[in-house]
Amino acid sequence: MADRNLNILNNFNVLYLEDDISLLTHTKDILDDFVLNVYAVNTSKEAVEVLKKEKVDVIISDILLENENGIDFLKSIRDDKQLNIPTILTTAHTDTKYLLDAIKLKVENYIVKPINVKELLNTLHDILLPIIQTQEIQKHSNVIKTISAITDSKQVEVIKYIIGNLDKEDQLIASYGDIMNDISISKPTLIKLFKELAEKKILTKIAHKTYKFNEDALEII
Amino acid sequence: MKIKNIFSYFDNLPFSYKTSFLIFIITGGMISIILLSQISIYTLKNDFDILFEKRTKPIIKLENIKDTYKINIYDTFYDIQQQNITIEQSKDIISLGQQLINKNWKDYKKNTIESTYERSYVTKILNDFFSINYNTSNLILQENIINNINKKIEALHRNINTIVKLLERNKFQEATTLIDRIYFEINSVNIYITNLTNYDLNLAITEKRETQKVFSTLTTVLNFSIVFVFLFSIILSMIVINNFRKLHFGLEDAVDIKTKELQELNEYLAIKIEKEVANSRKKDLIMFQQSKLASLGEMLQNIAHQWRQPLGSLMMIIQSFQTKMELGKLSYDFVEQKVDDALLLSQNMSNTLDDFQNFFSPNKDKTNFKIKDCVEHSVELSKYLIEKENIKLNLVIIDDLEIYGFYNELSHVILNIISNSKDALKEKEENKLIKIVIKKFRNKARINIYDNGGGIDENVIPQVFEPYYTTKYKSAGTGVGLYMSKQIIEKHMHGIIKCKNVFNKMDNINLEYGALFIIDIPFEKR
Repeated sequence: MADRNLNILNNFNVLYLEDDISLLTHTKDILDDFVLNVYAVNTSKEAVEVLKKEKVDVIISDILLENENGIDFLKSIRDDKQLNIPTILTTAHTDTKYLLDAIKLKVENYIVKPINVKELLNTLHDILLPIIQTQEIQKHSNVIKTISAITDSKQVEVIKYIIGNLDKEDQLIASYGDIMNDISISKPTLIKLFKELAEKKILTKIAHKTYKFNEDALEII
Repeated sequence: MKIKNIFSYFDNLPFSYKTSFLIFIITGGMISIILLSQISIYTLKNDFDILFEKRTKPIIKLENIKDTYKINIYDTFYDIQQQNITIEQSKDIISLGQQLINKNWKDYKKNTIESTYERSYVTKILNDFFSINYNTSNLILQENIINNINKKIEALHRNINTIVKLLERNKFQEATTLIDRIYFEINSVNIYITNLTNYDLNLAITEKRETQKVFSTLTTVLNFSIVFVFLFSIILSMIVINNFRKLHFGLEDAVDIKTKELQELNEYLAIKIEKEVANSRKKDLIMFQQSKLASLGEMLQNIAHQWRQPLGSLMMIIQSFQTKMELGKLSYDFVEQKVDDALLLSQNMSNTLDDFQNFFSPNKDKTNFKIKDCVEHSVELSKYLIEKENIKLNLVIIDDLEIYGFYNELSHVILNIISNSKDALKEKEENKLIKIVIKKFRNKARINIYDNGGGIDENVIPQVFEPYYTTKYKSAGTGVGLYMSKQIIEKHMHGIIKCKNVFNKMDNINLEYGALFIIDIPFEKR
């Protein structure tokens, strides 16, 4: 947890709603160094305007605003505008009333003032990391799909079978017959593939019908 | 010694006994004197009556008899002998004389024997009491004499009748001898009668002596009783007067002692009151501190809130240095700008502290100040609490007034009332309002503080200014706030504070019910 790669924040836009202008500017000054854009506003009206125009990835909002309430603002954008943007609430109040409302709204985090910048940044990182990961996964599956399109698709299916049937200890317990029942592949081709994997130390036989998948070997290639 | 004992006994008797004894003696003596005098007068009268009726009258009768014998009988016979009158004439005279004699004699006997005028019962008792004896032994003698006279008179009358008959038959010779005998008889009857008279006179004298005796005895008794009553009255009066004097002196002493006791009590009370006053002053001071502490709690919330914002900004500035440093972007301009901001923020924080410090400082000097400033300052101090409850505060300044007094204390009072209104408005859902009006009213500065919190319970209104009276839960109030407010306004500023429930146009549209606190402060000159 200690050292997160905060560089991942670089490509995101943050909407920051806070009525204390001094705090707003100073916080914006810090966030500016880490994220793509900080839209700093001090009323919910301005915030709605920003939401209309810009692509916002995370909302940071104070609960007690001048003559309004951050929670009400969140409710309105979730219910009326059907926007489900991850949100961090900040407040000087530790009232359980606000806490319960926050839980009901499924806000991502609840930061008690005075704001610890590290905590804020970490929270932002934690919120944005899944988004980046999803994007990465999408990318990788696209790569695999592309590879399988240009090479022997049977071999790719066997690899998929092997990885899909690994147990908790990265071991595959299966006979050639089992694999051939699922995938229509000739036995010699299958044996050749297993031999190739064994040579590259990716899949080593440790017992009868038992193979160990070695993840580290992938890094060498 | 005995007399002394009696005196001391009397002295020791309760006063009421002594007086009743005195009254008893005097009335008893009076009654006995009156009774005795009445009795003696009655007895004397009785004795005189007896003397007259029983002794004097019979003697007159006896004398009459004697005279009748002498004049009617004797003289008539003599006239007949001298032939001065006729027999017919003498017959009438003699029969008349005989009738007179018979009547008188009968009267006498009746008076003496039938004894109508007996001695009275009272006289008898008196005589018995004083042992005075009567001579009753001579009654036999009297009876004998009366019997003799009876016989003589009967014989005499027979002879007279015989003489009259003889004279009618003109037998003068026989008549004359008989007449001579009658003379003799008359004389003897007269002697008997004289005897009887003497006897009666003797009796009268004896009775007079007895009366004298009774009179002197009664007089002695009377005198003695008068003297006795007099002496006794004097002695008792002296005792009673002595008692009065004693009582008087005793009372004087008692009054002196009581006066002294009262003086001591007074001194003690004076000391005690002084102590109590000092105590109550001490208590007031403690309560003042309590109320200040109570508002201190609220003030701390205010301070905390007013500090939290700049503190948050300051922390952000400090952290910005760190992040900039880590990123290697820390520039001179950035530091310059952030330091300026930080100084401004900390200056604000310092000012906030000064404000509250002023409010809590025991600033005891009276100053000239504008009520408007004081109220605005108080509102500013309680701003956070009001805003937290979503209360709108409307300050209406009709007259901008300047008074001379304790700025902080008035501020304290206004804060307290605002705080109370805030508590009353807590229950209200929306449109929570407090209105403060400053105006001149009858040469006094008047501050009206309205709210629309539904008013104070009418049963509670008389008690709201009493110490330790609170309708809030123990944690919420100490119950000294309004008491201290009253003390401040009335004792320190010589003003008046009161509260009531009124309808008021809070937002100039709707009439709303709520509490009204009125503070009147006189314009005191420096």
